[in-house]
Amino acid sequence: MQQPPIQQQQQQTSSPTEFLNNVIGRPVLVKLNSGVDYRGILSCLDGYMNIALEQTEEYVNGQLKNRYGDAFIRGNNVLYISATKLRE
Amino acid sequence: MSTTNQLLPLELIDKCIGSKIWVIMKSEKEFTGILRGFDDYPFPIKLQDMVLEDVIEYENTPEGRKTTKLEQILLNGNNITMLIPGGEGPES
Amino acid sequence: MTEEAVPVVEPNAVEEPLDLVRLSLDERIYVKLRGDRELRGKLHAYDGHLNMILGDVEETITVVEINEETEEEVIRTIKNTAEMLFVRGDGVILVSPPSRTGA
Repeated sequence: MQQPPIQQQQQQTSSPTEFLNNVIGRPVLVKLNSGVDYRGILSCLDGYMNIALEQTEEYVNGQLKNRYGDAFIRGNNVLYISATKLRE
Repeated sequence: MSTTNQLLPLELIDKCIGSKIWVIMKSEKEFTGILRGFDDYPFPIKLQDMVLEDVIEYENTPEGRKTTKLEQILLNGNNITMLIPGGEGPES
Repeated sequence: MTEEAVPVVEPNAVEEPLDLVRLSLDERIYVKLRGDRELRGKLHAYDGHLNMILGDVEETITVVEINEETEEEVIRTIKNTAEMLFVRGDGVILVSPPSRTGA
């Protein structure tokens, strides 16, 4: 792939792999396409975006609905993974 | 292969790294944010998973548009419909 | 014969998400499915699509109905049991193994 030319390009780019290396072992928010949110510690994930979380909390419409010690989330349901720790 | 002045779709997105981009999903969801990077697997199969920073998420719900701010996300490329460089977002 | 380079992997380590499922074989697990369906049962087998065979299964279906007179939402759960069932992976949202102690 060619180098992105021009301007503010010395600001670090961050590939998905780098992003993931930074967030593994840290608290994440995983949002599903259905709108359901999971918060937990990201154990690991694979190329399908299958995700293993620890200390998982399930939020539906912003309300805590369930807790799971460990949880496997099937990647096709995942909209995004966020490193933020913000709580609403 | 000779160089042409044709810009491939992926090259366009590559030029957006470091700039704001507007992402429209298949469902009633949109995102704006600074594009930090993406994986380069074959383009026609799947739009790339991409890392976005300083993100605003827009959800169109029956109760109106809801926005959420996020510092940094890895967005699943599976349900991306459209990428718009510049990234004014739906509220402009 | 050359020595096979067998990676020394701790058998209980979760290195990829599917390990979480692998470590739950023969244990009772919780499965959340599309369409507000939940399963609890013993995991007998699975594959990479998350197709699964569960035994001694309890299924819970949550239905939201609108009471036509009061227009209130009524949440109703339906329970089914099955001795053995096959779950097609594409409906799976989440799998949670029983809590394991020790890391």
